[in-house]
Amino acid sequence: MAQEPAMTEQTALDWIIRQRDPGFDDWGAFVLWLEADPAHADAYHAMAAADKGLDDLLTSLPTVQEMTAMPEPARLNRRAWIGGALAASIVAAVSLYLYVPRSDPWAVETAPGVRRTVTLADGSNIALNGGTRVMLDHANPRTASLERGEAMFTISHDPDHPFEVQAGETRLVDIGTAFNVLRDNGQIDIAVSEGAVLYNPGREAVRIDAGHRLHADDKTGTYMLDDIPGSTVAGWRQGRLVYDGQSLERVAADLSRYYGINIAVTPAIAGQGFRGVLSLPPKEKIETLAPILNVNMRQDAMGWILTPR
Amino acid sequence: MTKSGLNAIFIANRERLLRFLAAHGAGDAAEDLLQELWLKIEAAPPGPVGNPLSYLYRTANNLVIDRHRATTQAVKRDRAWSESVSGEAGQSDAPLSERQIIAQQQLEQVQQALDSLGQRASRIFRRHRIDGIAQKDIAAELGISLSTVESDLRLAYRTMIDLRRRFDEV
Repeated sequence: MAQEPAMTEQTALDWIIRQRDPGFDDWGAFVLWLEADPAHADAYHAMAAADKGLDDLLTSLPTVQEMTAMPEPARLNRRAWIGGALAASIVAAVSLYLYVPRSDPWAVETAPGVRRTVTLADGSNIALNGGTRVMLDHANPRTASLERGEAMFTISHDPDHPFEVQAGETRLVDIGTAFNVLRDNGQIDIAVSEGAVLYNPGREAVRIDAGHRLHADDKTGTYMLDDIPGSTVAGWRQGRLVYDGQSLERVAADLSRYYGINIAVTPAIAGQGFRGVLSLPPKEKIETLAPILNVNMRQDAMGWILTPR
Repeated sequence: MTKSGLNAIFIANRERLLRFLAAHGAGDAAEDLLQELWLKIEAAPPGPVGNPLSYLYRTANNLVIDRHRATTQAVKRDRAWSESVSGEAGQSDAPLSERQIIAQQQLEQVQQALDSLGQRASRIFRRHRIDGIAQKDIAAELGISLSTVESDLRLAYRTMIDLRRRFDEV
């Protein structure tokens, strides 16, 4: 029952959190998990010791003000919602009256396998990976919308006019920044190499600092933050992809985008994690990646398919 | 729960507790730890305990974690000591003021990390980790779903534990 190390850590973390609940009583299941693999105890001990080590630091913190209820939008009662909608429509009507909104959109698009960089009037530039579409607006030059694919934004910072990127339901605001955004299959992945980005201000409002990556579900807003060495952000620009336990499905999607060919994974190994660096060879030598990924690669009419080794 | 009651539960569940400690990889130390657990409940019997077996498991679990911390910190002290005698004196024995500065910096980093989680996750984490409130009670208190509490706690614990581990690497 060996698990991937990242998976083991996640499970260990879940146990630590559950055990901190005062009523926790699932020790039998915990014993079985520990017994399944000695690596489980090691991962658990390392994390539980670090968690315990927070005691002194946390109790030294100044206490927070009284807790107040923070209802989620979905839970707002109907009257509040109608009130809000009414207020919003009044604001909309008033602003319509005050000035005619101008919008002058234009699109930058790349075919799969093609990469391209556009420079904006303010000196900011946007590097597009293959299979990407970004909408820009001449009337609102400090906004961009990632319709699909992956793009690296290197923004010349202006504190009075922060640059905003929209990707599906996700909104990002730069705080002096170079950052990569990937939008794929309802998932959003933001990696920051310089400065910081604010994720969904007004909702989650998470600040992503340089050297960090946030992975979110675009629909639910569920997210995870982790570390990424700044130098590996948007590695596709140098033909280098760095992974830290991401699924082979994700690796295949990245390769498809980069090479512009269809690369699939058999379901049996789609969820398998990969940790390592891929130096991307020319398209003709793509099968040299197989031993590094620890898979077999087979060519078919559709493209390539990754199968268990 | 009277003192003798808890002891009786201990004796009745001795094998289960031993198996638990062995599952922790305690090996030969499992018997030692069990002994330590016994002495602990003898020396400082808790007040009324709702679920005595769960209490014993939890206390045993804390002993394992404490022992793990003691061992790794001892290893670190040993290494620091041997470094200081092998010509890098002064590094491991920072003067008090410097240690205070480090502590202050760590505190600031903890605060920043909490802030970076966003207001909601930070509050939920404090409520759970510092105040010891159950997840379902936090959900009710803030009027949010249990799954939101769960996902916020995952992010928060992960962030804070990773930060604490980085302090140890220094």
